[in-house]
Amino acid sequence: MEQKYEEEIQMLQQEIEMLEAEQEETLRSIFIEHGDRLQHELKSVFEGRGGAQKPTLSKLITEVRELEKDLRRQTEINGIALNECFVKTLHKSERKLVQQLRLAGHCSVLLFQVEFAVTEIQEGDALLRRVTELNIVVDGVEFKDFSAFVSRVEDTKDLLLFFRTLRTFSERCEERRQTFQHFQEKYPDVVSLPEGCRSELMIIRSPQLPGISMTIFWKIDVSMEGVVKPSLELLLKMPDQAREFDTKKVMENGSNYFQSLLQILGVEASIEGLIRTVCL
Amino acid sequence: MENSVLGHLMALERGGMGQQDQHDSQRLEMLKARAVTLRAKRDQIKQQTDVVKILKDKISKDLPLEDDAAAAGGFIEQQKSMLTAWRMQLKDLQRAHHLIGGYELVECKEGKSVCVSFHTAFEGVYLETYNMELDLTRTVQISRHNIPPSFPLESFAKQNLQKDFKAFLQTLSQNLNALAARRRQVCLLKELVGSVEVMESNQLCNILVLMCTAQSETPKAVLCTLEYGDLSQCLPTRVSIDCCIWFLISYEHVDLESAAMTLKHINSVFRSVRFPGFEFQSHSVT
Repeated sequence: MEQKYEEEIQMLQQEIEMLEAEQEETLRSIFIEHGDRLQHELKSVFEGRGGAQKPTLSKLITEVRELEKDLRRQTEINGIALNECFVKTLHKSERKLVQQLRLAGHCSVLLFQVEFAVTEIQEGDALLRRVTELNIVVDGVEFKDFSAFVSRVEDTKDLLLFFRTLRTFSERCEERRQTFQHFQEKYPDVVSLPEGCRSELMIIRSPQLPGISMTIFWKIDVSMEGVVKPSLELLLKMPDQAREFDTKKVMENGSNYFQSLLQILGVEASIEGLIRTVCL
Repeated sequence: MENSVLGHLMALERGGMGQQDQHDSQRLEMLKARAVTLRAKRDQIKQQTDVVKILKDKISKDLPLEDDAAAAGGFIEQQKSMLTAWRMQLKDLQRAHHLIGGYELVECKEGKSVCVSFHTAFEGVYLETYNMELDLTRTVQISRHNIPPSFPLESFAKQNLQKDFKAFLQTLSQNLNALAARRRQVCLLKELVGSVEVMESNQLCNILVLMCTAQSETPKAVLCTLEYGDLSQCLPTRVSIDCCIWFLISYEHVDLESAAMTLKHINSVFRSVRFPGFEFQSHSVT
């Protein structure tokens, strides 16, 4: 008699686990496959259509609103916005959880797509967690020299390093973009951004001095360890005839002078100084 | 006399079995009750799952969710399922932020203070999490935290805390991750590389003294000091190698050539970037 009950209990527990997993997957698949429709339908739920809201619904709605608020807070403080988040549970037991996640989002204007697998094992009090697979795709004109870092991070599965570095990198890119845009707006006749304000090139040319140009390369280098280092270089161009007059050897030494200027005045003041030299 | 003793024993036995019976029936009742509870739970979940499946079916077939056939109760169930689906997504997003190393800012005490968490990891292995509570009443002040005392928290706070909160968080995250990485590298060294012994280390793991032994007929050893000048990084900025240590003297013949080979090997290994991946294996240097 006892044994029969024990067997039934075990069977019921397994059934419950299976049903819960099934429900979870179905709920997730509704969102994956029909997210837009769901959002649309949810609008009417939130507006309270369809008669008086039962207490169970209003409790859920409050919970959902709280979660939305928390997510907005996380997005703001982390600087990372996630537009897509698909989770697949590959294995779930009392002590072990294996999941695959696919995330897509942006950090300011930099777009990314990250797919990774994570394994969690409960060993006594401690939770051991590790990333077992990692694939990263980044999109944007800024990522020209990013691929060495990305390959390294994929090899070492260092998910957290990727996002830490992405944040810092995006801040430096934003500084560059704002500075370039500022100068283009302030001196539209002299400053041009041939590849856009998100690129690393700025050219300074005066219409009164044809053939003479100063090109600023503002590179943002990311080392394999995720160290973000902006560096600025100046390239001077002068027509051959003008070189005769270059007694002070500005062409040769110009880029070095620029480096010294950067150290003394900083980036904005140095660029402003350069621009003013051609604003006769 | 035998009879009465036997009889006595038998009576005792019967009494004992009666107790056992009672015990058994109690357990039986318990199991029965548990089975009933589980059955009810299973049925409830099955019903919920069915509602969710119907919802999914309707949505994928592009059918309207409100129809006359749906009883009011059924419609509420449907709305509940939709909300549950959305809640699942929101919780997944929260988890995603957590897994990618988010700060998990939480408001406490009605907005008077906030709590942040710093997650650390090294090469895919999640390590310690440090927590901090910040008081917001007048200026931003750190009220509680579990960051090790050797960590220069005050100087970072002085730099950024009032002016640029996000920069403060970023700097802390960077440095705490570097600390966790250095610590983990020491553990990995101890675990994985047999020919290296950690002689000295400190709380911040920014000075490391290793004894590296090369196995050959006459074992040789070098003392290697790693200095991590940049606390925001987990690679050494300076490596000095010392092969004039006392026990080399005890060998009659110090093979300078193999010591030099050992040094060269160590140097090339540190120049390549992957610190814990290298092996200070025995080099049959000739």
